[in-house]
Amino acid sequence: MTPPAPPTKNQIAGATSHPLLSVCVHAALVPLAIITLIPFVWLLLASLKTPEDFSGSMFLPRGEQGGYDLTRLTFDNYTRLFTDPSIAIGRAIVNSVFLASATAVLATFLAAAAGYALARFRFRGRNAMTILVLGAIIVPPPLLLAPGYQLLFDLGLLDTFTGLILPVAAPAFGIFLFRQSVQQSVPESLIEAARMDGATELGIFTAIVLPLVRPMIGAFMLITFLLMWNNFIGPQIVLQSPEKMPLAVVVAQMVGLYEQDYGLLMAGTLISVLPVAALFLMLQKEFITGLTSGAVKG
Amino acid sequence: MIRSLASSLNAALSPGAKVIASLALVGGAVTLLWPIERAPGLELWMFSPAHREMYRSTLETWGDSPEREPVEVSVFGIPALERRLMGGIFSGVDMADLVEVERAIVGPAFRGPVEAVGFVDLTDRLESEGLLDEINRPSFGPWSTRGRIFGLPHDVHPVLLGYRADLIESAGIDLSTVETWDEFGAALRPMIRDTDGDGEIDHWPLAFWPTHEDNIEVLLLQGGGGLFDADGRLIMDSDRNAVLIAEMVSWCVGPDRWCVDVDEFTNASNSQKIEGYSLAALMPDWMCNIWKEQIPQLAGKVKLMPLPAFEPGGRRTSVRGGSMLAITRSAEDVDEAWAFAKELYLSDELAQTLYTSTDIVTPIKRHWDDPIFDEPDPYFMGQAKGRMFIELAPEIPARTSSPYFRAARLELRNAANELYEWGRDNGVYTSEELLSKAKEILEARTDLIRRDVERNVFIPREPDTGESGGGGEGT
Amino acid sequence: MSITEPPRAVAEAESSALLTPPTPEVLNRDRALNVAGPAWLFLAPFLLVFAIFVLYPLGKSLVLAMQQTYGPGATEWVGFDNFANLLRDDLFRLAVRNTVVYTLGSMFIQLPLALGLAMLLNRPSLRGRGIYRLVFFSPQLMGLVFAAMLAALVFEKRAGLLNQALHWLVGFDLDFPWLQTHIMWTLILTSLWMYVGYNMVFFLAALQNIDKSLEEAASVDGAGPLGRFWNVTVPSIRPVASVVVLLSLIGSLQLFELPWIMLQSTPGPGNRGLTVVMYLYQKGFETGDLGYASAIGWLLAVMLIGLALVQLWIVRREDRP
Repeated sequence: MTPPAPPTKNQIAGATSHPLLSVCVHAALVPLAIITLIPFVWLLLASLKTPEDFSGSMFLPRGEQGGYDLTRLTFDNYTRLFTDPSIAIGRAIVNSVFLASATAVLATFLAAAAGYALARFRFRGRNAMTILVLGAIIVPPPLLLAPGYQLLFDLGLLDTFTGLILPVAAPAFGIFLFRQSVQQSVPESLIEAARMDGATELGIFTAIVLPLVRPMIGAFMLITFLLMWNNFIGPQIVLQSPEKMPLAVVVAQMVGLYEQDYGLLMAGTLISVLPVAALFLMLQKEFITGLTSGAVKG
Repeated sequence: MIRSLASSLNAALSPGAKVIASLALVGGAVTLLWPIERAPGLELWMFSPAHREMYRSTLETWGDSPEREPVEVSVFGIPALERRLMGGIFSGVDMADLVEVERAIVGPAFRGPVEAVGFVDLTDRLESEGLLDEINRPSFGPWSTRGRIFGLPHDVHPVLLGYRADLIESAGIDLSTVETWDEFGAALRPMIRDTDGDGEIDHWPLAFWPTHEDNIEVLLLQGGGGLFDADGRLIMDSDRNAVLIAEMVSWCVGPDRWCVDVDEFTNASNSQKIEGYSLAALMPDWMCNIWKEQIPQLAGKVKLMPLPAFEPGGRRTSVRGGSMLAITRSAEDVDEAWAFAKELYLSDELAQTLYTSTDIVTPIKRHWDDPIFDEPDPYFMGQAKGRMFIELAPEIPARTSSPYFRAARLELRNAANELYEWGRDNGVYTSEELLSKAKEILEARTDLIRRDVERNVFIPREPDTGESGGGGEGT
Repeated sequence: MSITEPPRAVAEAESSALLTPPTPEVLNRDRALNVAGPAWLFLAPFLLVFAIFVLYPLGKSLVLAMQQTYGPGATEWVGFDNFANLLRDDLFRLAVRNTVVYTLGSMFIQLPLALGLAMLLNRPSLRGRGIYRLVFFSPQLMGLVFAAMLAALVFEKRAGLLNQALHWLVGFDLDFPWLQTHIMWTLILTSLWMYVGYNMVFFLAALQNIDKSLEEAASVDGAGPLGRFWNVTVPSIRPVASVVVLLSLIGSLQLFELPWIMLQSTPGPGNRGLTVVMYLYQKGFETGDLGYASAIGWLLAVMLIGLALVQLWIVRREDRP
């Protein structure tokens, strides 16, 4: 058999110019995508159904004579959600927005600063610090729950937002990511040049480094926002006043002792998902590029 | 300088990141400026929004009184309440002055030395004010340890048997002569048939299965078994327990079984009950209200009767669940808290509202004369179910408050399940044949708990001289 | 968007007002500047928070692990008893076994699937890649609590989505009690749904950065798709893959909230859903025995460190040639 002809550029690139292969790929992806999305569809429908319809039908509510009856869909659950004063969902949303975004901002800048230090400065103890950071990624948070709680109590930080934000403002994983990112995107020569021109260290950091790690900033902010937004164990332990509770806790607490008001719960879940979905759509590109610069070629 | 800082940040933040940053600023401003009203009066934590509704008028009356501040009530889900409670007790954090807690989560509060229990010891007050006699004695059980009582009971929760009178009576079966579980199984056996021709059995007598943790305990207590004795010692592997577990499993295994795995509170199981897939279920008083809310389709089709006993002449009721009101160690003014607790729990009005809105029978004996309990209940085909529950109230089995209660109950369930699977896989179906294996399994599982109990350095290995508040056999 | 910014940003930076022309004093000061100084300044915020909120509680937890406590004022020193009891504790052993089974099952199914998806999405002319990426990542947006509640409903027998679908498709037993007998599988499947997209994104990022010239060279050498995969793709994504594996390992071994919510705050029948962190939580926050719980936490930390070191060692070895 003669040796195969040298591959054309298209063939190297994965050869999707071949329509049949393209169809196969889509044929594999589409069912998986549907399976992934089914729970969301179910969630949306469940939030629009009355309790009888919830137990009566899987997806779309059924009419009296069988077949589907879309007029049975209702916004009742949402109305109840927003008008029930004991749930106070408006305040919960504000709390969540604040907690998630403040943590994101704080953690990102702390991590960027520390990551930059580890990446572009040579100093004694750098290796030790790097190992410390890597080790910190491994420390299991459950281990710190009990003594951490005691500490917050001693510092008078229980039932404060500060007490919730500070402990997670030093993200070891974030430092690791930013260190990679800085090494990737910020050439040493640039910094040397700036130093020789007499720039202040802070100046270099804000004017040169930060803009160059922009994707990672966006990515990490998103990750942190997402984590804090969905976090409900932390707030339940640290916060006491119901007025400070974030959305995740409020919705989770709607599951009463025996009453499963699923409609309300589903509406709350959907409300909780929408803002992060919106943010994710906005930050999609950064997210991918950010992870690229941070994790690849580590 | 600021301008270049701004321009650097501008270059460093993508649109999405800017959004997050602005949310942080705006959110921070709003959160810091939005005031939280703090009332100076008593604080009460509870886990049931329904309770808050019930207490509304008492709360208002208390608040109207000139020397007193209104009570601030917060409702949390049970896991949240538990966390808060444990955090308060084990870390000394401030808690509310009063807490309404459920049986299943109060155990750990009693794990330490009696002097350190996170609730105020109410024994002396109860005694001197004669409340120990006014309140149904066995109901103090779960809230007592080493002879001291730490809470006011909210309820009695006797258990009756609820059954589909519509289906059963129209099949010509009369359950009024049934006195034991064996008789019950035999009486309803004719109904275990395929009625609609689809090849599957459509009716089973009892909704019970070796995975139903709560109901295993209910039956165990009914039969005189239990997890802990009156001194709080672990008796999970007692002979009596082995007999009872073997009996229960024998109802569920093999070709002669007459129980079915229909559980509680889920949509699926409610549908099964409506279809009559299960014909009877264990009904504590609060379960009546659950059925009214979740299964309105069965209104007028169900009746109640005392539980069939394990032996002729045996106990015909049991107990399930319960809550109490306790004053925590954080309370500044214990007397005020105590006064409020009494007003909340001992009033006529509460006894009535408790029954009318949640079907729960009060533990305060002097209210038991109230005609409200004799009213016919349409859901239960006109039966005066309140009276039925009250008549059995003094007979409910006593319970204690071990901190290992939850773990022990889980292992009990595991033991029952293990026995069931063994019986099913080895073709052993009768209670006599299952007995020795039951004992073996119980002993192994009790050992797991026992090791934990023995690790505890705060609870003395030798029993105290004091009796626990419940008396008699415990759980 | 490319990885390194074009010189435009550099030019902008250079003209920034923060770069003042050097005066002799400034130059002198800078040369004498200990390069270490500013580094520590940048590290300071992190170190401060870390020391207070991580190191200190870590130390405290070690002390706690040697005690048995019941609230303030009721503390007994028990030395290594907690650890000794733990190693003899059958429930702990079961928890470890369950957790390890879950971790292995999860990683060996999830990661190859994530890689596979990433490779499918890596086709350059694939239309709708962005949409697929978003779709597969979206379960992450839902949060663990709701995913668990949803899963409990999906795997419910009789009315659950899975049994209904399987029954309709292949006549599967409608009453199959997934949540009683096959808890680990339900957990693996649920976390598959939740995390495949997350891992896929990492892999996709890595794949998109493979040097095309390497692939070209391999093709020229006559390597088929499988050969290209083993000799070009795998080595190129190794750094990312090891990060993904490590994160996956750490996350899986700390499994707790998912089974806890799915099984309604219990470890499930026969403790089949018991995991190490769940046991820690039960002992610490249900029984209030913080000492025992801290001991569990430390054993977990030891396990994690051990595994991380093993993984590091494997990666180092393979990087040698």
